[in-house]
Amino acid sequence: MTDPRRWLVPMVWLALLLAATLGMGQLEGLFRWLESDSRQVIYARADFLTLLGRHLLVVSVAAALAILIGVGAAIAATRPWGRDFLPLVSQLASIGQTFPPVAVLALAVPVLGFGTLPIIVALLLYGLLPIVRNTLAGLAGIEAGVMEAARGMGMSRGQILRQVELPLAAPVILAGIRTSVTINIATAAIGATVGASNLGDPIISGIVNGNTAYVVQGALLIGLLAISVDSLFSRLPMSGAR
Amino acid sequence: MRSQTPGTNVVLLSLSLLALVVWLGLDTVSLAANRIVPGTGYRIDEILGWGGALATCLPWLALVGIAWRPTRPRLVLALALVVLMLSALPAWLALSAETLVDIPGARLGIGAGIWVVLFLLLLALIELRTRLVLGRLLGWGLLLPPVASAGFCLARWLEPLALWQEYRSRSDQFLGAVGEHLLLVGVAVGTSLALGVGLALAMRRWPGVQKVGFGVLNFLQTIPSIALFGLLLAPLAWLSANVDWLSALGVSGIGWAPALLALVGYSLLPMVRNTFVALEAVDPGVVDAARGMGMSRGQVFRQVRLPLALPVILEGVRITTVQAIGLTAVAALIGAGGLGTFIFQGLGQAAMDLVLLGALPILVLALLVDALLGALTDILRPGGAE
Repeated sequence: MTDPRRWLVPMVWLALLLAATLGMGQLEGLFRWLESDSRQVIYARADFLTLLGRHLLVVSVAAALAILIGVGAAIAATRPWGRDFLPLVSQLASIGQTFPPVAVLALAVPVLGFGTLPIIVALLLYGLLPIVRNTLAGLAGIEAGVMEAARGMGMSRGQILRQVELPLAAPVILAGIRTSVTINIATAAIGATVGASNLGDPIISGIVNGNTAYVVQGALLIGLLAISVDSLFSRLPMSGAR
Repeated sequence: MRSQTPGTNVVLLSLSLLALVVWLGLDTVSLAANRIVPGTGYRIDEILGWGGALATCLPWLALVGIAWRPTRPRLVLALALVVLMLSALPAWLALSAETLVDIPGARLGIGAGIWVVLFLLLLALIELRTRLVLGRLLGWGLLLPPVASAGFCLARWLEPLALWQEYRSRSDQFLGAVGEHLLLVGVAVGTSLALGVGLALAMRRWPGVQKVGFGVLNFLQTIPSIALFGLLLAPLAWLSANVDWLSALGVSGIGWAPALLALVGYSLLPMVRNTFVALEAVDPGVVDAARGMGMSRGQVFRQVRLPLALPVILEGVRITTVQAIGLTAVAALIGAGGLGTFIFQGLGQAAMDLVLLGALPILVLALLVDALLGALTDILRPGGAE
């Protein structure tokens, strides 16, 4: 925590992302060379900073809700009064991960309609699964002796949860959140096909109009965004494979 | 669970009560005169009247009763009820089609109510299967009656079903798309299996390769698929314009070439990771014993290490294949074909049934592959099923 060099790599990626977002217009010459036939080579329907902002907004709203609901559900299913639901919840979390995110997104549209809201709901639903699964795994991985000791010290159930279980399970839970956010950044971009306006827009519009320059601009920014966020997560204390 | 006076099964109780509310409260079907106009939704009481609607609630109430005081025989009865209700859903669609459709060409849509009830019934099935400790095969066998019922109803009565109409108007295309999808997934998984095993072996020999290899593959995995497809577009287009034999092969900025490259790239990480971990995890004592018996290095690898590592390697193949099925759907955006084509066409035309025609088979494929390879892994696990 104290070593500032720890955060150097994520900061470099973030700086690159910001530079690319703000300075895309300066690269016009490069894109002109890439796509010499088109009249316009820089995506101009919305500026890149707005698109980046909307992308981040959708992903963070979905992630915040998914963390709240996912961790909450996993905690509920491991308490004495909710233990009946444990087998179902853990099976659901593992079966659900077989569903391809695109299919979930596509299935959300007929039910919820076009626009930003269906995307948030689809991202939320899909993002829940790794968080629930990892929270369950994290809570189950705590040694029985540790719990015994906490009870022996006279801690109440709430105290055990807050001061023992959650801190010990935190690295595994964080790994789940990382997986969830990584998938959601990618899925949100595909959401541009169902009417959300975000960094996926330039890609879709470039593919539709045959403009490679647009595609590369969108792809570059999404790639940088995903890498920056992932690299931020990698500096947090975490365990387990992704 | 106590055996004498069993406690209430809260899970089954809440699932049945929730399903009951959804069944009565949400639209079960929708009807549209043609493909363009939005459909009108119908709740169950608007089709059957309140008397009929309440009569369809009886099986749910029976489930609630069983959940209140569950014993093993009653849970078996509940399981039979759930399977029966799953099989009755297509029949319900058929009944609605007979009652509501009066003009030719009208389209019957499946309403939110049916989807939610289907989901809740499947949850109840999983719950009961877990409570009754049923085997994997039996669990899948339970899905046979509903599938058979759906097939029968589709053939007999469900001509107006919008999803079915979309399928029939492009059945050749559909089969072609399934073929393309499976071909892309198969080639990608096959290639990455061969490359992955090679890479894992190289990593075991040279630790430098291990560090760099995992670094690169992890990095690749973070890049969203749509971005990777996009970034491959420019270099591949340039290659096909400047290298004759590549363009003769059909390589171009869009189509199967970038799709396959990206798919292999994504597939390598789970493949290499599992193969590497599997080979590392083989007990050194077993290897020593094999060497002591006079086996050569090659023999040890082929007859000891590989069979012991096989279940974990297969686990890698399973993860990779399921992931590739989903990614191939995205590849339809860059013209690689496959079932994703229907999804994006449907989204473009706001034709939701066309979206379903793409998304549902992808879901089914992913679940099937997951189940089949999972079963295979169980069989091959030492000391697992015979």
